[in-house]
Amino acid sequence: MIDMAIETRELSKRYGRVSALTGCTVSVPEGRVSGLVGPNGAGKTTLLRMLAGLASPTGGTARVLGGIPRQDPAFLADIGFLAQEIPLYRRFSAGDHIRIGAHLNPRWDASLVRTRLAELRIPLDQRVGTLSGGQRAQVALALTLAKRPRLLLLDEPVAALDPLARRNFLTTLTSAVADANGSLTVVLSSHLITDLERVCDHLILLASARVQLCGDIDALLAEHKVLVGPRTDTALIERTHQVVQTVSTASLSTLLVRLGGPVIEPGYQAEDVALEELVLAYLGAEDASAAARHLTTVGEDS
Amino acid sequence: MTWLVWRQYRAQSVIAFVLLVAFAAVILAGGAAVASHWHSMLVACSGRSACLQQLSQPASQAVVDAIQVVGLGVPAVLGVLWGAPLVAAELETRTSDFVWAQSVTRTRWLTVKVGWLLLAAAAWGGAVAGLITWWSGPNNALNANAFRPGQFDIQGIVPVGYAVFAMALGIAAGTLTRRTVPAIAIVLGGFLAVRLVLADFLRPHYMAAVTTYYSVTSSFTPSGAAWVFRQGGISPTGQFSHAGWGDVYPLLPAACQRLISEGPVASKSGPVSTLLSCMQTHGWRGIATYQPASRYWPFQGIETGICLVLAAVLIGLTFVIVRRRDA
Repeated sequence: MIDMAIETRELSKRYGRVSALTGCTVSVPEGRVSGLVGPNGAGKTTLLRMLAGLASPTGGTARVLGGIPRQDPAFLADIGFLAQEIPLYRRFSAGDHIRIGAHLNPRWDASLVRTRLAELRIPLDQRVGTLSGGQRAQVALALTLAKRPRLLLLDEPVAALDPLARRNFLTTLTSAVADANGSLTVVLSSHLITDLERVCDHLILLASARVQLCGDIDALLAEHKVLVGPRTDTALIERTHQVVQTVSTASLSTLLVRLGGPVIEPGYQAEDVALEELVLAYLGAEDASAAARHLTTVGEDS
Repeated sequence: MTWLVWRQYRAQSVIAFVLLVAFAAVILAGGAAVASHWHSMLVACSGRSACLQQLSQPASQAVVDAIQVVGLGVPAVLGVLWGAPLVAAELETRTSDFVWAQSVTRTRWLTVKVGWLLLAAAAWGGAVAGLITWWSGPNNALNANAFRPGQFDIQGIVPVGYAVFAMALGIAAGTLTRRTVPAIAIVLGGFLAVRLVLADFLRPHYMAAVTTYYSVTSSFTPSGAAWVFRQGGISPTGQFSHAGWGDVYPLLPAACQRLISEGPVASKSGPVSTLLSCMQTHGWRGIATYQPASRYWPFQGIETGICLVLAAVLIGLTFVIVRRRDA
């Protein structure tokens, strides 16, 4: 049996009357690099903070590395969390942060940070507030990795970076994963699907505070197909497969389906689906159904 | 953790220490001059207070006022500059997400940080109070007023209690509001309010005041630096009057009033003692209500205790919020 680094069951978070995350059931096997995607406000940050033990759920349960996220030095030592804002003490230098880390963590790899920052030519004695956004993100990631965590939770760390800084950041991440040899699990949230495609082998798709997809990317791609065929009644297809998205022209229908059995539909041609296409189809479908719900509500109101 | 606290506060500590040294230098230099001046005055007047009051005061009122402001203000300043941002600034700059993601629980983080800062408040508050207490020595001895509001608050151990309380108030307010600026407002308002309530409403009643009756023909002064609430005459029916003829006159029996309006006292030919004897004959007594000087330290202890209990409640609240609330 594969050990799960993360297992949540019906995990929910409400802030007053607002639901930030509803019935989130996901699992991430140990050693995976999971991409967490979804539109703004889908609950990505909420999920990551609950997994890190910084926020507590209002419903459901989360098991992270075999235990419930909690205020416990041993648990905290296993988690590397990097928040969206790249929080660092702006008046302190990278060197100061390395020393803070050494005082606050049981297995601290100071030489790892020093080497990494030297490679990137980031000065250790300069206030981090004066570094560029990309350099700050690299410092923060290096510090997070120096904790030698077993689970790395990264909340849109590349969002504010230029393409080159983003590539450097992801390179650091990939080599850390390779060095860990399967003992490091990563959950990385991002809007940039191409970035995720490069580093991730697992995907969690959140939309409207719910989980739409969760699984290994290869498996997800294998169980989805694009069916292209004449614009006819699709009832037969819907009986076997789950239609995620339909795009129709005058004569042709293009259907993105989650397979429920072998593709035997006559006249239809099955094509493989790309990750970006898959993600956009689910996000688009969610949009459409949200719009439909909205219309229904409006209709009821009037 | 301690290293982190030191790293975060070392620059401010150095500045605060320099200010303390500067204050100490002023107090020690000024205090030595004041003490020697008092000493020579005491020798010159050989202890007669009337003589002493005619000589010029050794320290100008402006200096006395300035020292009083420092004594009253230092706790509030500590609460504003160190207490309010302790948690609030970390939340505002999101550095809480960095430090709370290290392998240290929030409880431990808060314990070490709060512990050191309360200690710092006690140390700085205590040092300032110690200097002011020393400086006030000659004045306390001569004017016997160390128990009075304005003196009591800035001497002894009470300022330490206030400093710890203000620090705790700042920490709790910053944790509650998550923002430094509103927390500062709460510290200033709350500290002033608590000080006002303690000094004006509670302090006189820490222990039941002593009331002494004495004959109006004799005089009475509570020994030492007692805190006198009221002193005057009291009629047989229990009406109190301060020792001023204008106040007393309407309350006096007609026989004694006559002594003032047309008798020997009015024409200043007779001694006041005639009137006092008349009052005594009609049942008047002297009365003094006061807190004896011997209660100075018990009162200091009680007020410090109240401050420390309030501080403990606020710190307890802070721990509950930091542990329970989402970061």
